[in-house]
Amino acid sequence: MAKVLRLYLLNLYFYTCFLVLSAAVIPALTLFVACGAPFQSRRTTLKRFRRAITWYGRVVLAISSPFVTLRYQCPAQDDPGEPYIFVCNHRSASDAFVMGLLPHEVVQIVNTWPFRIPVLGVYARLAGYLNIRNLPHATFLEQASRLLNDGVSLIFFPEGTRSATGKMGSFHSAAFRLALATRACVVPLCICGNENTPPKGSPLLHPGQVTLRRLSPITWAEYRELTPISLKNRVWQLMERELARMESPA
Amino acid sequence: MTEQEIIDATNDVFEKSFEVERERLVPQAQIFADLGLDSLDIVDLIVALQTRFEVKIRNEEKVREIRTLQDIYRLIASFKNDQNGTSAT
Repeated sequence: MAKVLRLYLLNLYFYTCFLVLSAAVIPALTLFVACGAPFQSRRTTLKRFRRAITWYGRVVLAISSPFVTLRYQCPAQDDPGEPYIFVCNHRSASDAFVMGLLPHEVVQIVNTWPFRIPVLGVYARLAGYLNIRNLPHATFLEQASRLLNDGVSLIFFPEGTRSATGKMGSFHSAAFRLALATRACVVPLCICGNENTPPKGSPLLHPGQVTLRRLSPITWAEYRELTPISLKNRVWQLMERELARMESPA
Repeated sequence: MTEQEIIDATNDVFEKSFEVERERLVPQAQIFADLGLDSLDIVDLIVALQTRFEVKIRNEEKVREIRTLQDIYRLIASFKNDQNGTSAT
């Protein structure tokens, strides 16, 4: 009983802070971007706007920090300046916020529903997030390639939906077709410990430790001989092994 | 071409082009949910099947109705029958 009560109190704290801080931080960051916009190129404004979204994501993560601890693990040799195609497993609605830990300018490749979230959906659209469901593949390839050329990294959740069981679902191939078309490095991201922050089908955050582990980039030279299917399967296997390592008791 | 030859050749396409393990290739397997293909992969699948069976798969409605591996076996059989019928006349 005490445990359930504690859980509800934690969530009351989180969602209150979330709403209050969102009401303060979103207009403040919007103002920050809007004030500079008349004096900057569109590209610079978009970069600041995406940076502001990352900061907002970090604020939301900070609110949950009393009961959800976060660890970001990254190989030392990574170049934060290069645009990457990040592919990440997907267990929780909070994964989009966890992406705020990445130091890159990023655009997330999403389904239709994130665009329907009040306020955040509008910001996602303004930041140039791509709706992979609505775009014809050729248009998607063109827009995604342009972003990579501009130095913007892309984040895919190639399972297409959150896994309810914790077991990673099969991947869609769009990220890997894009990689083969643009020669961008593919960087697998493994998240674990997030399955209850919150679990699929519930808004309740449970205490836990979330780890985001960034694996080494897979370069064009390494995957150039592969088909989209082979590349997709290699990355899936790599991530499955890594997740098993992350979740095995030390 | 016999029914078994169509099944074997189709399974071979899935095994070689889509790296699906042979034991997962059962007739009732759902193309998307069980075999892990997506809508983009379907284009590659059609190309691979056309090459393998030397048929033109053009009937979009029939292709859109594909859900399971069994549906593909049937689709190929119908195209092969059409092809045989055309060459006989």
